[in-house]
Amino acid sequence: MGRFVARRLIYMVVVLLVVSLITFGLMHAVPGGPFDKEKALPPEIMKNLEKRYHLDQPLWQQYLSYLNSVVIPHFNTTAPGYTVDSDYLINVKLGTVWLHWMNFGPTYSSRSRTVNDIFRQQLPISAQLGFMALMVSLFIGVPLGILAALKQNTIFDYLGMSVAIFGVSVPVIVLGPLMIWIFGVTLKWLPPTGWGAKPPYVLGIFPSKLDWGFFQHAIMPSIALGLGGSAVIARLTRASLLQVVREDYIRTARAKGLEERKVITNHALKNSLIPVVTILGPMFASLITGTFVTELTFGIPGMGKYFVTSITNRDYPVIMGTILLYAVFLVIANLIVDIMYAYLDPRIRYD
Amino acid sequence: MGPGDIPTLDPSLATDTSSIQIAWELFIGLTRQDEVTNEVAPGMAESWTYSEDGKTLTFNLMKDIPWVKYDAVTESVVQVLDCDGNPRVVKAQDFLYGIERTLNPATASQYAYVLAFALAGASDYNNGTSTDFATVGAKVIDDYTLEMTFNENAVYNAAIAGMWVAYPEPSWIISGDDCTEGRGDKWTETGFIQSYGPYVMKEWVHDSMITLVKNPFWAGIPSVPAAKIEEVTWVMLDEQPAFAEYEAGNLDAAAVPSADLDRVKADPVLSAELIVAPNLCSYYYGFNTKAPVVDDVRIRRALSLAVDRQSLIDNVLKGGQIPAQWFSRPGLAGAPTLESHPDLGVKFDPAAGKALVDEYAAEKGIAVDQIDLSLMFNTSSGHQRIAEAIQQMWKDNLGLNVKLVNQEWAVYLETVKSTETPQIWRMGWCPDYADANNFIKEVFDVNGSSNPAKDGEPYGGINWKDEAFSAKLLEAARELDPAKRVELYAEAEQMLVWDEAAIIPIYWYSRNTVTKPYVTRTFGSAGQEAIEKWDIDMAAKLGQ
Repeated sequence: MGRFVARRLIYMVVVLLVVSLITFGLMHAVPGGPFDKEKALPPEIMKNLEKRYHLDQPLWQQYLSYLNSVVIPHFNTTAPGYTVDSDYLINVKLGTVWLHWMNFGPTYSSRSRTVNDIFRQQLPISAQLGFMALMVSLFIGVPLGILAALKQNTIFDYLGMSVAIFGVSVPVIVLGPLMIWIFGVTLKWLPPTGWGAKPPYVLGIFPSKLDWGFFQHAIMPSIALGLGGSAVIARLTRASLLQVVREDYIRTARAKGLEERKVITNHALKNSLIPVVTILGPMFASLITGTFVTELTFGIPGMGKYFVTSITNRDYPVIMGTILLYAVFLVIANLIVDIMYAYLDPRIRYD
Repeated sequence: MGPGDIPTLDPSLATDTSSIQIAWELFIGLTRQDEVTNEVAPGMAESWTYSEDGKTLTFNLMKDIPWVKYDAVTESVVQVLDCDGNPRVVKAQDFLYGIERTLNPATASQYAYVLAFALAGASDYNNGTSTDFATVGAKVIDDYTLEMTFNENAVYNAAIAGMWVAYPEPSWIISGDDCTEGRGDKWTETGFIQSYGPYVMKEWVHDSMITLVKNPFWAGIPSVPAAKIEEVTWVMLDEQPAFAEYEAGNLDAAAVPSADLDRVKADPVLSAELIVAPNLCSYYYGFNTKAPVVDDVRIRRALSLAVDRQSLIDNVLKGGQIPAQWFSRPGLAGAPTLESHPDLGVKFDPAAGKALVDEYAAEKGIAVDQIDLSLMFNTSSGHQRIAEAIQQMWKDNLGLNVKLVNQEWAVYLETVKSTETPQIWRMGWCPDYADANNFIKEVFDVNGSSNPAKDGEPYGGINWKDEAFSAKLLEAARELDPAKRVELYAEAEQMLVWDEAAIIPIYWYSRNTVTKPYVTRTFGSAGQEAIEKWDIDMAAKLGQ
């Protein structure tokens, strides 16, 4: 297993390099630049801007200096400063020397912020929302799927799957405003928009207070976002469980005279979760890194928006940053999924 | 305020409405344009005098206006002290520092171009030809006297001197001094920023909200009174969620999303809170006057005559916009108004348009429906709806079949300002400073925003050059008599939208806003609200 993980980590570096190269090439190939506006800027102003952001350099040089500032650790004696160019994600003091690592660069849309600031301030919010939405998906999806499978072709099955179809079919863009209107505006039970946590975060991720003030903002968006996922999980769980209960080893377990409850929980359920775990990887990565529509609908200051606006604005460092971030989460989530396979199904071995 | 973060609070760097809005509350320029009438009033300069040639303005500054900051520990606004422990006050040197910083090529300020074109020597300093700031027409005479020399003796010089790009800036907090740590790019962040205007920034939670508190050290002047509301918070929300928050009672003022407008008008409570306020922006279609077919003025004029602007507003836009007859939005200084010039420019007249098209078709010997025309706009459902409605009007009124093409925004911007500019294209414009010069000249004169040129020869946009038009604009800029100035701009507009018909003015914007009844407010027309003039009846708010 150790060798397997090590090998996968090496692959990961290669994958990320390829992703960064393709992204970099594509975004520069698309016409239009970051400073094209309705009000065209005079060429002299353009020149100043391009110089400031090193866009006047050849592309290969820009790519190499990007890699240099993101990948290569820098050692020097200067403490972290206030300039955008010296904003590193990781700053460690080793005796008299500072280690600076990972500067994802500026954002063209704001001079006083950097891509690292977006990671520090917006990513935790998206991660909090994404995690809760994932929990909603699991806690609704798995039981619903099990119920539907065990009571196949009964009213429970039909009802459960109807709920699932509803969850898949009604997008957040409909569900969100509807929930806001009912629970936020009309009944006034929950605040219509906003998020209940702000920087600084505990350990860089967790809200400093887990109280009603936090959860009241999280309830509606988590449900709106999680419902779609729960439907997918419910259908997968149902299908997979139905297949597993027809396997020989389940028949054997039953033949041994094992209680039906034990047959299901100890033998069937664990194996039936493999497809569910498979889909959890990408689902986790996409939920954690931000969801554009949900965040916009509920006015949540998360990462989701940056995935979209960075592209329309040609905000190159933010495009690179968001895509690499997503890629990292995706690769790691898939690695964890692969590791989990081995526990769920002892027949799967990697070494 | 829209969704997404405020880009910056740095006056040298602000380019968009929300950044300028906050900067406008934190700082005050030499002069201040009234948010409603756009008249230039004294700001930090109590008075100013003109030199004989009218190009040099000497500003006399108010004395003893302290720099302040919000102190999170004592939760109050405190004065900033210098290295000797005395309060720092706003001086002419701070203005000079701000102007220098804006123009410095290393700052790479986008709006530096406004100063670069107006201020003597500023262009050379900004493009690096001169590295000596003394060559720029801005000079400190003493602590409270600032002299600025402009390229033209234009009436709007005083307005430009009051723009955010010429605000004073606290050099010590940006570059540091003996007793202050310089914060560089981050000087506008929570806890660092220093200012002196009616409000002070208390907290800026990026992408979420920004809170300003009243500056008790700002005693007020007629154009910028002391703030009445203690604390103001802007939330950064999309229109729809912001309106939901308003309806839930959590916001005191909001914009109305166009989808909700019919409902708001029908609702007895909301309709009473609805105000349609002007917004000094113009929406138009431009012609590439060198492109096939539209290189004929008859076709251009016909297309403009055939647009039923009122019907477009009533049936498609529904937001109380005004049919545009020319480009410079009435309400701007120098711009003609519908009251003074009811028949200026172009109005809906399908019969006249049809006659022109028929004449053209007969002359060229082609059928009207075979004339090859296409309209390009940037991909958006709003622009799409407008384009489809106008396409139908052209079909019905002129018999022309115009194709619609759209491109993604950034790609589109490159296209319409390139040698490949399509026949007809869409664009809009909002003021940087509320003067007609910022509209008709800075957009359509040679090398204007929508008339890009190389070596004095236009190659894209409206692709049009007319010495008489350029001369008229220059004459208008120099005219000191306001009434004569309006006439000159009216003549220039007539050349642009009628004689040459280089653009189709479509509508002048409006803003649909709702405000709770316990709020007293003004309605800014040029993009900024003067929050310091707003008041809130807290008893009524809490009692409701």
